[in-house]
Amino acid sequence: MSSKPRLLLAFVLAVLLATLLASIFQTQSNLAALQALGAPMPLGVRLATTCLDLFGFAPTFALLAAFGFVFALPLAAWSARRLPSLRWAIFVLAGAAAIWTALALANALAPMPTLIAADRNLFGTLGLMASGSAGALLFGLLGRRVRYRAQPTPSASL
Amino acid sequence: MLRTTLVLLGTLAASALALAQDYRIETVTAGLDHPWSLAFLPDGRMLVTERVGRLRIIAKDGSLDPEPVAGVPEAFVAAQAGLMEVLLDPDFAGNQWVYLSYAYGTEQANNTRLARGRLVEGRLQDVEVLFSALPTKAGAAHYGGRMAFLPDQTLVLTLGDGFDWREQAQNPANHLGKIVRLHRDGSVPADNPLVGQAGAAAEIYSLGHRNVQGIYYDARLQRLYSHEHGPRGGDELNLIEPGHNYGWPLITYGVDYTGAQISPYTELPGLQQPLLHWTPSVAPSSLTQYRGALFPEWQGDLFASTLAERSVRRIRMLDGKLAGEEVLFEELDERIRDVRSGPDGALYLLTDNAEGRVLRVVPAD
Repeated sequence: MSSKPRLLLAFVLAVLLATLLASIFQTQSNLAALQALGAPMPLGVRLATTCLDLFGFAPTFALLAAFGFVFALPLAAWSARRLPSLRWAIFVLAGAAAIWTALALANALAPMPTLIAADRNLFGTLGLMASGSAGALLFGLLGRRVRYRAQPTPSASL
Repeated sequence: MLRTTLVLLGTLAASALALAQDYRIETVTAGLDHPWSLAFLPDGRMLVTERVGRLRIIAKDGSLDPEPVAGVPEAFVAAQAGLMEVLLDPDFAGNQWVYLSYAYGTEQANNTRLARGRLVEGRLQDVEVLFSALPTKAGAAHYGGRMAFLPDQTLVLTLGDGFDWREQAQNPANHLGKIVRLHRDGSVPADNPLVGQAGAAAEIYSLGHRNVQGIYYDARLQRLYSHEHGPRGGDELNLIEPGHNYGWPLITYGVDYTGAQISPYTELPGLQQPLLHWTPSVAPSSLTQYRGALFPEWQGDLFASTLAERSVRRIRMLDGKLAGEEVLFEELDERIRDVRSGPDGALYLLTDNAEGRVLRVVPAD
């Protein structure tokens, strides 16, 4: 597979991983708030709600993540090539910054104060940003393989 | 043959009913900036609030006094925040008290406030703040702001959860997501349900609400009805009882705007079920009961104006029970902010936009 389709695949997988983790985190954050109010939360209810959010909530988050990643991941890849010793730190920060920016923009444009419930407090925002970091790290990992494969072998260059 | 005859008779009866319900919508007043609430003065004039912070007087002929009422407290105006309800004192003819609900504070620290003043010669005098919902919060969403008087002349004021603070609707220590009950001077009635409960806000009448923008006391049935906005789905019509918990956000028939589950539960022990819920949302914005003479078939029915559905929901009542709904006035294709049963028997509507109007619904003939 040439590098462009592989990069695109890496991007899609990064968005999917960030979305999966963010959706699970958002659900647990929400259910924890209800539990604190006294709602029973048996495992079956928790799992069912998590699954419902993967269908109901995840598409919204995927759009936000994709929007943030479109800018952040190419920039991170470019920066990582120039600062290879900071490669993983760059992707961690880029993923987190991408989600933070997307959330901030969504909150500024949406009629409600905070679009995503988990984003209403610092811990929740950090959790969603960490999901972005995980997605960006995956992109960095798959992107690195693309770069190595694209390098010509010594025999081919003769 | 008998069956055919019965079908024909039924069709004729339905047609006769439809004719009897025919109506005409007249524009009484135009040029109002997001009108929010309408009140009828004893002399035939009307008071109308504009969310941007103005209280206006409409003459009997529908003409709008170009000068807003002076002396109105300054409201915090942004998004859903601003001047909201206007309500006359039960003894207005004698004391001229006018009650106003509005958002107070700043973008970073605001909530709902209740004040009153005497309407004397086109201005408010002796203005006094009666109640300020606490805590203040950031943002400009979910203020509630509707009011009604109970037979003992105490006043109930609806509030909202501020959107970001939905769990606080279950916290009896504050006013977020509550309906509060006050004496006309703002003092707390001694028989409020949480009076004497340690750590509870004494003003609370009911709790577990999201954003209550309709409340009406049915004096004949001695019932207090309210409706509230759900999130995406789960708008509710409730029968309010003192001290009861209406469940938000522990139970709801709606989901978040992002599609996320707000709660896995639609019912839990100790939490009140709505009389009905609207899913998908209609966004109910005010509630009244028709007690006029112009539409006998509407007598005793509840009417809820809606923003999202751009309609008025007629909720039929039969022997004190809900008996179906009818969607009215969709042909206007406008957000309806307020619906009132006028003293002349007509139904009055406020349209919610920068060129808002007062509309009067009368029989077609």
